[in-house]
Amino acid sequence: MANLFMVVDASSKGAFNKLCRHRIPGALPFGAKYRLIDFTLSNCKNSGITNVAIFPYGNYRSLADHIGSGDRWDLNRRKDGIFILPPKSLTVTFEDTISFQRMYEHIEYFLRSAQEYALVSPANLVWNIDYQVILHDHLFNQADVTEVLSCDNRRIKTFLLSKRLLLDYVMSYDVIPYRNLSDVFDHAASLKRHHYVFPTDCFLVDSPFALFEANMRLLLAETREALFREERPIFSKETMSAAARYGENAKVTNSIIASGAVVEGIVEGSIIGRKAIIREGAVVRNAVVMNQCLIESGASVAYAILDKETRVRQDAVVSGDLNQLYLSEKKQIVAGGRKLHILQITAECHPFVKTGGLADVVSSLSREFARLGFPSAVMMPLYPRIKDKYQLFLELKAEQQLDYGGERYRISLYHYTDQNVDYYFVEAYEFFEREHIYGYDDDGERFAFFAKAAMAFFDIFDDRPDIIHIHDWHLGLLPPLLKNEERYREMKTILTIHNIEYQGIHDAIILHKLGLTAMWPNVQRVNFLEIAIQTATKITTVSETYRDELRYAYYSKNLVEAINRRDRDFYGILNGLEEDIDPGKDLTIVEKYTLVNVFSAKTKNKADLQTRMGLSIGNEYFVMGMVTRIVEQKGFDILLPAIDELLKNPLVQFVILGTGDAEYVRRLQQIKDRHPSQVALNIGYNSTEPSYIYAGADVYLMPSRYEPCGTSQMIALKYGTIPIVRQTGGLNDTIEQFDAVTKRGNGFKFYNYDHRDLLFQTENALNVFQTSLRDWRQLIINAMNSRYYPEDTAKAYIELYRLMLA
Amino acid sequence: MKRNLIAMILVGGKGTRLQQITRDIAKPAVSFGAKYRLIDFTLSNISNSNIDVVGIVTQYEPYELMTYIGSGASWDLDFIDGGIRFLTPYATNETVLWQQGTAHAVRQYFNFIVENEADYVLILPGDHIYKMDYQRLFSYHLQRNAEITIAATKVGKEEASRFGIMTISSDNLLVDFQEKPKRPQSLLASMGIYLFNTAALKELLLDGFAEGDVDFGKNVIPKALRQKRRIAVYEYHDYWADVGTVESLWQANMDLLDDPEFLTLNVSKILPIYSKSLNLPPHVVLGRAHISKAIIADGSIINGTIIRSTIGYQTIVEAGAVIENAVILPNVRIGRDARLKNVIVNRNVIIPDGYVQEGEKLMLIDSETLLKRGEANG
Repeated sequence: MANLFMVVDASSKGAFNKLCRHRIPGALPFGAKYRLIDFTLSNCKNSGITNVAIFPYGNYRSLADHIGSGDRWDLNRRKDGIFILPPKSLTVTFEDTISFQRMYEHIEYFLRSAQEYALVSPANLVWNIDYQVILHDHLFNQADVTEVLSCDNRRIKTFLLSKRLLLDYVMSYDVIPYRNLSDVFDHAASLKRHHYVFPTDCFLVDSPFALFEANMRLLLAETREALFREERPIFSKETMSAAARYGENAKVTNSIIASGAVVEGIVEGSIIGRKAIIREGAVVRNAVVMNQCLIESGASVAYAILDKETRVRQDAVVSGDLNQLYLSEKKQIVAGGRKLHILQITAECHPFVKTGGLADVVSSLSREFARLGFPSAVMMPLYPRIKDKYQLFLELKAEQQLDYGGERYRISLYHYTDQNVDYYFVEAYEFFEREHIYGYDDDGERFAFFAKAAMAFFDIFDDRPDIIHIHDWHLGLLPPLLKNEERYREMKTILTIHNIEYQGIHDAIILHKLGLTAMWPNVQRVNFLEIAIQTATKITTVSETYRDELRYAYYSKNLVEAINRRDRDFYGILNGLEEDIDPGKDLTIVEKYTLVNVFSAKTKNKADLQTRMGLSIGNEYFVMGMVTRIVEQKGFDILLPAIDELLKNPLVQFVILGTGDAEYVRRLQQIKDRHPSQVALNIGYNSTEPSYIYAGADVYLMPSRYEPCGTSQMIALKYGTIPIVRQTGGLNDTIEQFDAVTKRGNGFKFYNYDHRDLLFQTENALNVFQTSLRDWRQLIINAMNSRYYPEDTAKAYIELYRLMLA
Repeated sequence: MKRNLIAMILVGGKGTRLQQITRDIAKPAVSFGAKYRLIDFTLSNISNSNIDVVGIVTQYEPYELMTYIGSGASWDLDFIDGGIRFLTPYATNETVLWQQGTAHAVRQYFNFIVENEADYVLILPGDHIYKMDYQRLFSYHLQRNAEITIAATKVGKEEASRFGIMTISSDNLLVDFQEKPKRPQSLLASMGIYLFNTAALKELLLDGFAEGDVDFGKNVIPKALRQKRRIAVYEYHDYWADVGTVESLWQANMDLLDDPEFLTLNVSKILPIYSKSLNLPPHVVLGRAHISKAIIADGSIINGTIIRSTIGYQTIVEAGAVIENAVILPNVRIGRDARLKNVIVNRNVIIPDGYVQEGEKLMLIDSETLLKRGEANG
């Protein structure tokens, strides 16, 4: 038996969206008949390891089901065996790598393990290895910590060290500066650190693309030989399916077909899972088709990953490309490519009115839908400022009387087309003929009325919309209104939550006025957002991580129950960044730049920023920038002490542009007073042209307490300014930690809402900035290569719409 | 623990008519449909019928079969207080107990029935291909208040003389039974599946035992008929094959290929046929493959042309090879440009590059035949 025990790190969600809604990455099907974790567990068996602990992050039912008693890997033992150790604290959100804190939750396991060495390796790593080889290498090199790298020098989150040393870290997790073994390996200079490079194929499957790529690599003989070896077989759950069956007119080449599959159509370069059925006349090319999918006759699938039991209907076309794979959800029915009519109903939309990010998202989505060929419409109130500006273009479409709360009101509908998007404006003098968009005592009444008015005009559409997409709280009463109306009852509604803090809580008399009291009798107040969460067909929010966070009361507060009840209908879709935000086209900065001239241009822009702000000029300074509302949410409680500490280094400069809370502003002023030549405050300054900060700063700080999606970090990336962020919401989904070993990553991020953690990562960044020009430049290149396209966001929504209609 | 119904599977037959295929394995361990062994059908039927005590009566070459079945976990038959028991030949003080026939075998292990205090015993062959819910047979047996129930199915005229042929009354009671008659009086054949009241079985095999009573079909059933015992016949209507010869093994594979709904093997979730997992990777189809109407098992690598054939697991078909109307048993390698038609290729055979066997008559290819041909050519 090996003198090793195994810690299987299943704490990372990876960059999966759909495929891991109901399973953790380790439980993902792979290679037609396996699950990813089969490789790790089979390696354990083949290496004589009998003590295995799996640390999943949460939804591990599918994993537990697959593992069973562990007897397929000989891990059903009297002594030792296999353990699934779930997180004890469910309020802790997700991390990319297993932390010492997470291990401490099950300290008993570590204390009890009799083996002297510990191997930590992820559940989603596909390889075939005898772990004893790592141990021998570790001992031979007398290393303290050995990190295993793949043959192309990527990190695969695999470490070997003595149990004694691991215990030291786990027991003192709350006092040491390291959160996990990667930190130890990168920063613990006193240890003897050693790299073992694994010589053959090895895939860390942490994104849909990685899953696709690893599957496709199975089509190469050398990869199969590396993974499937006679002396070390890969064990998996037993099947009860017959051998694969080919029909008379089947055409199959360069593919892997699992048992139970029935292939009657054309399959090329694909991986076909157990009991999948490809009917005659169907075509599957370069796709991963998981278990029990059904591809009907005439359908075509390319560059796709179809999750289990997906059904592609007759003549439907499912095609992605290498940049964006098509992903289906488990049991999804994919119907033919009918064009969906999408109507977004909103309180604001750029360029007509804008008070926040919501207006940009609606506008961007509507234009992308139209560009993708879908009939796209937006409906909003006709505010006076729109009437003033667009009067000449507005065409009157309809007029009518509307009952509301026993009174009759006159409403009119105006139409305007731009870039193939149909905009509809609802005119109602009593409610919207006002100077501001929001901020009136009767805001609840105004938007309740708007919801009813919007519905009253549905009949004027030639084709009734397939999807009604509403945003935030304003149209929250529309879904129940539709449900209340016989002919609209079946209409599909989708709610996007941009920020859960805005809920629209008003007097319940509104329900009475809309005739909805039967649904919510005996309430004093009506919460528009809560009602929308309860009644919309699907709910989305603006990033995957924010979606996960909203399941905890820390983030979703009073709505935590409502959110959790709708968990299975709740999705996270990251917003994109407008493509016209581009340092190569920005006329407001002193030198435009792209990847070609970024290094010289950034120096000039930095000098310009320093000049404008009255700071000392020089490229040796480390300029930290921020463009933000100065409010608690943005992390000022941890920012201020960290900044104060950082500015003790005379080479550090800090520039902030924004407005907000007077108390924070006062404290910022105090910091400036202490370090007058290093700090520039632009409080209340016009923030419509902040580009010079994005272009001139070296790093961009965003230590937000929460951040549903966030735009500034995406802008910073595009300007080659390195974000330092807290791992929350969209920040977590857009920023990948820079790793000095593999040179991957586009920024720095920290986990705890604690100024010391912010300080640690900022100093980490400063250290790279000062000691390695090469690494810093690589970071800038990585940052500028990060892309968040609005088109990808729109496609993700369309997928979801299709799911709703199927 | 007391059981109502237990099953005994007779896997002792030598299967000589399968020639080299059963040279070193028992007949129920013979492969079928690329991934199954014949015994999978009987074991799965038992599992799906919720029978939890099974005695497997072995004799010839039991090793491979016993290894294959193991604890029975693959068929969900590994129970703490029951499950699978292997009943193997053993020596007593006086003599070595060698089974002379089906009934004789059951007689030797009658203690197994006594130990389990079973009221009813289901006697099953281990080498037939079919799907049956034995609980329905059991209900029928109880309903008809029979002492013995025999499962039967209609067979073709030309093959009727291979089977035990039965004549029944209008209410499905057995009137006449003839083992392998030259002139069959009906087309209703016994499937070799017998359900006995334990009391009746005891009287027939122990108390009233006569020296020549070795076989159920030949001796015991005719004797029971003579004793005017109440024998019911349960008619089965779905696919059934008794794979006794090289030809019938080939034919059953072709039946499987020709019928996409064959025993609902690829679709049924209710009555699945289980098989032991060999932990093989799924099969790979390469660039020069052309596959039309085929059944291919895990672990194979296909780069040739395959028409109307079953390909057992871990088989390699090289580029240019053409295989038609063939049954390739597991772990075979078929060389480049080889051409095979109307053949069964035995397990572990290596077909050399360019080898041709395309006769109209079915041919079993074994390493011995290859050797002979090699000698003739040499």
